[in-house]
Parts: sequence; structure tokens; C-alpha cells
Amino acid sequence: MALFQLPDSQQGDDIAALREENHRLRKVCTALMERVESGGSPNGAPYAAFERSVLLAEQVRERTDALHRTLDELSQVNARLLAANAEAHAANVSKTKFLAAVSHDLLQPLNAARLFASALETHALPESSQALVGHIGRSLKDVEGLLGTLVDISRLDAGVLHADKAPFAVSTLLDALAEEYRQVAGVRGLTLHYVPSRVWVESDLALLARVVRNFLSNAVRYTEHGHLLLGCRRRADGLEIMVGDTGPGIPEPQRKAIFLEFRRASQPQANHSRGLGLGLAIVDRISTMLDHPVTLASRLGHGSLFSILVPYAASCGALEGASSPVPSAQWGDDPLQGCVVWVVDDDPAITEGMQALLGSWGCRVRAAATVSALEAASDGERPAVLLVDYHLGEHRENGIDLATRLRRRYPGLATVVITANHEASLKRATREAGMHCLLKPLKPLRLKMLLGTLLEGR
Amino acid sequence: MTTLFTNHGLSAAASREPNPQDAAHALALALCHEHAGFVLFFCSAEYPLSQLADALCQAFGELPVSGCTTAGELTPDGYDRGSIVAICFDRRLFAVETALIDDLEHFDLPTAQPLVDGLLERCRRQAVAPVNEHSFALTLLDGLSSREEQVLATLDAALGRIPSFGGSAGDDNHLTHTHVYANGRFHTRAAVVVMMNTRLPFEVFSTHHLEPLEHKLVVTAADRERRRVLELNGVPAAELYAALVGCSVEALAPPIFAQHPLAVHLGGQHYIRSIQRVNDDGSLSFYCAVENGIVLTAMQPTPLLTDLAHMLQRVEARLGEPAAIIGCDCFLRRMALESLGQLDQASTLLRQARVVGFNTYGEQHHGMHVNQTFTGVAFGALPTP
Repeated sequence: MALFQLPDSQQGDDIAALREENHRLRKVCTALMERVESGGSPNGAPYAAFERSVLLAEQVRERTDALHRTLDELSQVNARLLAANAEAHAANVSKTKFLAAVSHDLLQPLNAARLFASALETHALPESSQALVGHIGRSLKDVEGLLGTLVDISRLDAGVLHADKAPFAVSTLLDALAEEYRQVAGVRGLTLHYVPSRVWVESDLALLARVVRNFLSNAVRYTEHGHLLLGCRRRADGLEIMVGDTGPGIPEPQRKAIFLEFRRASQPQANHSRGLGLGLAIVDRISTMLDHPVTLASRLGHGSLFSILVPYAASCGALEGASSPVPSAQWGDDPLQGCVVWVVDDDPAITEGMQALLGSWGCRVRAAATVSALEAASDGERPAVLLVDYHLGEHRENGIDLATRLRRRYPGLATVVITANHEASLKRATREAGMHCLLKPLKPLRLKMLLGTLLEGR
Repeated sequence: MTTLFTNHGLSAAASREPNPQDAAHALALALCHEHAGFVLFFCSAEYPLSQLADALCQAFGELPVSGCTTAGELTPDGYDRGSIVAICFDRRLFAVETALIDDLEHFDLPTAQPLVDGLLERCRRQAVAPVNEHSFALTLLDGLSSREEQVLATLDAALGRIPSFGGSAGDDNHLTHTHVYANGRFHTRAAVVVMMNTRLPFEVFSTHHLEPLEHKLVVTAADRERRRVLELNGVPAAELYAALVGCSVEALAPPIFAQHPLAVHLGGQHYIRSIQRVNDDGSLSFYCAVENGIVLTAMQPTPLLTDLAHMLQRVEARLGEPAAIIGCDCFLRRMALESLGQLDQASTLLRQARVVGFNTYGEQHHGMHVNQTFTGVAFGALPTP
């Protein structure tokens, strides 16, 4: 029999065969036309489901390819962004370090200069010279104050400062500040209204003092006439400590900017133009650190009102007169309490800082630049955690190698490698060595959480 | 009786014990260990199934077990018949969750989506590996349900990016009853979905050894409900097909279907539509959906062993030496190998590649129901951390 599309020469002139062939071709045409006109198979028919799956698989393949290409491009862009970010971050860190180092190094000779100046004042000098020496002394004192501010902000940025919250009566802070600034204001012909409060709050006394002091010194600096106000207002979620003035006020567009570094509102009078414009930048950082929101209300030509919201102490009455604010019940729960932490870092400033930080969390800290120094200091006591700087100086082994060596002696010693190196390879190396990695600048909270996890498992 | 290998959290064993209790006991003895998480088995339809179900429950206890009946088994030794082969998955490397679809008629997307989401969520909770990119679905379907296409298309839509493959259960070429096993029982007109989430690298593959010829056959009359083609090119289907392959209608039998397959050409690929049998009315029954007006291309085989070896090499090139392969091998391939006397050579290849699986009445690959392929998943070695 003849097959469709196959030559059938022997039947070529047989009319009946041609009729038959024609009949079949009509059937084929009808079937094809039906199928074409139904747009494939009717929906829901089994073959249609198969056909859709095939076409879908086809589309999925194409889209997957396209998606892979896009992902590749994105990951390249991402890698470039990461590199740029790491660079910016490193620049920021080095800026902070530089600032801290410079400020610190400058303070020493300055201090000496002030001592010399005051020594000079005691000498018998002509009256004209005496006035000059007085000016020198005051100028040096101003410079010292400014440098102090620089040091503060760089320490805040470097994460060296940490909040040490405890309950206290707000009056212990504000009474002293009111007394101090009443005199300062008096010198400038201003009056200070102080409204005392007996409320207990929970905060870091020193850091909070710096905030309020900044508010007050700004108020004094920018107010020409009138009075200042220092007082509190009880809010539902905390005590609002407020400092108001009758100064020129701050225009709306500037209200955010003044909290950035080196920014000031309208220039004050030349004779008291001191300060780097860092005061409110410090306030902003401390406010973030303490989680105490700062607000500013101001009316041009009428004055400004700065305030900070401080949470109430948990139970004021019970703590009155109590010297240790830490409830002893917590001691048993805190895994950091009393655990032995070894710190290896070639920078004495860091070892010192870590000692203070870890000590404040109740850890027993042994910090040194070398393992031998550490072991000498530790009386054979077994460390619970090792914190080691990755880069330990030019010609020494790196932190991972040092830790590996130590872990041979103390198997299972939990290790955190600290590094400013943001390369993924280093992170991987620490992970492969079974250690943890934290990046500089070290975030105290991050460290505390990691230590908590490491120690909890013990 | 038992052959076994253990490699990267996967172990496999086979038993030829005809007694269900003995077979189940032998498998449990070979496979059960403290970290066993899931057992997948393929058994000959010759077993008394309800007794086998009870024996499996007894032997494996709480351990989840899924499987199906076959048209031949792929054991660690290669091709076999009348046996039961099982693979055990270590729960430290595999999170495995299963679901039974017992109403194939009404399996729609609103049913499929929660089913898939539930499987993934339960895998996720075992926290073996990230669920995205590390999971695939294995489907075992009743091979005579005629519902494969719709169920697979629906399931594939719900699975989204998760790869899937599987096989249709067989019954040693009797074409009467095929069964899938889940929840301690054998089921007909049902499907089992096995979601596997693993830390091992894996690859889902599919291959066939057939290439197109010139001849085109148009289906001019079909019974889609029964997967029957009544006419090809306006001629009774069996008659035309017999003329194409050059034999009489009476001589048409599975070995000829295996040797002379037909395929549809879609999106640049050929998909085999295998013939199941010749009916008395001169029509042809297929193992998969057919439709009036579809164009079938006559296909011819190329050397099967060469294609199989190439495919295994490709997998090895990408994954390294496979830890194991679960394979769904169309029973028509087995038939072709048998008629060529190449079954033992094929067994050697499969054994070397650590393939276990079964001969199917149809394979499933990414939501497509296909025939006359070797489809499966290959597991690579656990990456060193």
C-alpha cells in the first residue's frame, strides 16, 4: 500500500489509487486544519498539557539563561560596589585613627605649654606682658578644649567609648550643671532658670552629662540677651531633659545639618567664636549610642529648645541610696561573668581599651602583645575565649596561626579573629580554621553577642 | 541475595526472595541504621502486594517508605526481574518528605500549590540544606492512569524552579495494574511526590538514543481519552504503521515498537510517543497522550549503549564520580537491549555508575511525560567543607 509522502510509481496512473490517495490527503488536511484552527489542542486535553509543559520548559530554559546572565552582571557590579565600600570604610577607619592619634599626641605638648604659661604668670613681669601671658594661657586652654572634643568624637567613632547605664537621680547631674552654667551665663549677662526634679533615670551619667553640657554651652554661646532654661518634663516613655534659650533660633533647613560634624548655624559674634562645630555631632552620636532620642524645637528670633529623652529607672524607690545598680540575680545568668578572656594585640591602646570594655562586662581579661607575656600573666589559668588581632605586626605570625598554635595547647579554645581586612578570603580562612571573625572597627554589642554565644555553649 | 554499596549517605540493596516477609526483612537488615531517614523501593508486580505492604511496614517500622511496581528493576548489579530494590537516605544529608495524590482526576493548581509548599516547609524544618537550589521532586505515577500529562503539568507549575523527574509504575508488561506505594499501602490511580532536599550536589538528566527519519505521519482520527490513534494519514493506524516498519499487522509487538518509535517534534526537540499495543479495531494504543492532527515523525535507534555511555560521562564530567544515580528507564529500552543481546553490557555500565531504579511505563522530566528515555537524578560526592 502507498504511504503518505512515499513515491508510488507502479500505481501512478491508476485512477482508483489516485482517488484513494486524494481521499487520505483530504483527511490529513482536515485533521491538520482542525488542529491549527483550535490553536493547538483543546484546553484541558491531555496532549495540550504535555505540549504546554514542553513549551514552558523551553521558555523556562530561555528565561533561566537570561536570568543567569543578569545575575552574573549583578554579581560583578556587586563585587565592584563591595570593593568601593571596603575602600571607603578603610578610609573612614584610617581617618578616625589618624584623628585620634593626632589629637592625643597634640594634647601632651599643649598641656606642657599651659603649665609653662601659668608658671610664667607667677614671674614678675611688666604689666603689658602680664596681660599677654594671660591671653596666651586662655588661648591654650581653648585649644585644649577643642582638642578634647576632637578626641571625644574620634573615640566615639572608633567605638572605644561604651555606655555604662545605671539608675541615678537626675538631680545629681542637673544640680551641678545648673550651678556651673549659672556662673558662665552670668558672665555673659544672661540668667539661667533651673527647675530641679527628683526623678530617677537610667543612663550613662558621664555621657548624658556631656550631652546636656553641649546643649548648655551652645545656648550660652549663641544667646546675646535674655535667659536660659534648664529643666525636665515627665513624658510617658521617659524624662525629657530640656535646655532652652532666647537666642536667634535655627532656620528649618539647618536643623538637620547642625548635627553633622563641623557645621554651625549662623555665625555667632567674633569674640566668642570658639568651637569646631562638633558639639552637636557628639550629641548625635551619644544619643544614638544611648538610644535616647534628641529633639529640637526652634522659632527664628525667639529661641531654641533642645531636649533629650531619658528612660525612667526601673524602680526608683528601691534603688535609692543603692551603690551597686547591678541586680545580683543576673550574675548567674550572664555567661560573660567571670570568664577568662585572652586578648592578643600589638597595639597597647587596643589592649587597654579591650581590657576596659571586657572588664566592664564582668570578664576576667588578660591582654598582651604576645602569647608568652599572656601566659606569664595568667598563672596557668585556662582561657575560655581568645580574641586575637589578625595583623600582629610586620615580621610576626598572623592571628590565625597564633590561635592555631594556642589551640594545640588548649583544645577547643573559642577564638575570635579581629581584623580590618575585609577580604572574603580571610573570612573564609578563619571559618575553615573553625574560628570566628569580626571586622574592625569593632562593634562592642556585636562582640558581646558573639562572646555570649561562644560561652553559652560551654 | 543482597548487593549493597554505601556512599555519601546513600545505600542500596536488592533482594530476590520471592516471599514478601523474607524480602522486606533482608532489605531492612541491609539498609537500616541509626541515621536512616527515608527508603525508596521498586518492586516487581509479581509480589503479592498487600502482603508485601504489611511486610514492609513491619520491617521498616516508623521509617517512611515510598515506592512503586515495575516492569523490571535496576539493582546495584544491573538489570533484574522479579526482585525488589531499595535505596536508603541518610537524614543527615537528605531531608525527604512525601505526599500521596490519590485523586488524579481533580488534581488542580489550588490543590498542588499547598501540597508542594507543605513538602518544602517540612524539608526546610529539617535544616539539612537551603531548600532553594538544593531540592528536587521525584514523581511516581500509576502508569496506566492516563492522567500523567495533566497531573505533571499542574505539579510542575506548583514546583516552579524546583527540578522534577520520575517514572510511571509498571507491571511486568501485563498492562493491567500498576501501583505506587505510600503511607504503608499500595495504591492505584494515584501518584507519590517525593521531595528531596540534600547537601549532595545533584543533576536531573534525561537522554534517548533515537534520531528522526524523513517520514511524517499525521493523526487523522484519535480517541484522546483512551490514548488511542485510530487513523494515521487517513489509513487505519496499525495498517499504516505495519507498512512503515515493513511487517504484517499481526507481527506488531513491543520489540518492534521499541525498534521503530514515533515522536512529536516540538520546540526543536523530538519527544517519543511510544506505542503500547495494537487493538482489535486496527487502532494503536499509546503510553502517552495523543490528539487529532498531531504530526508524528518516524524515528530510528542509534546504538543505545553509546548514548548511555556518553550520558554517564557527561554527568561524571559535571558532578565527578557519581555517589549514586536513581534511574527511570523505559521498559522498551530494556526490550531493545534484550533483542540486541546487549543487556549484560548495559548492566555493566549501570552498575559502574551506581544506578538503581526501575523500568517504567513512561518517564517524567520537568513536567513532561516522555517515553523511551533514561531519566533520573545523579548525586555527586559531598563537597569537602
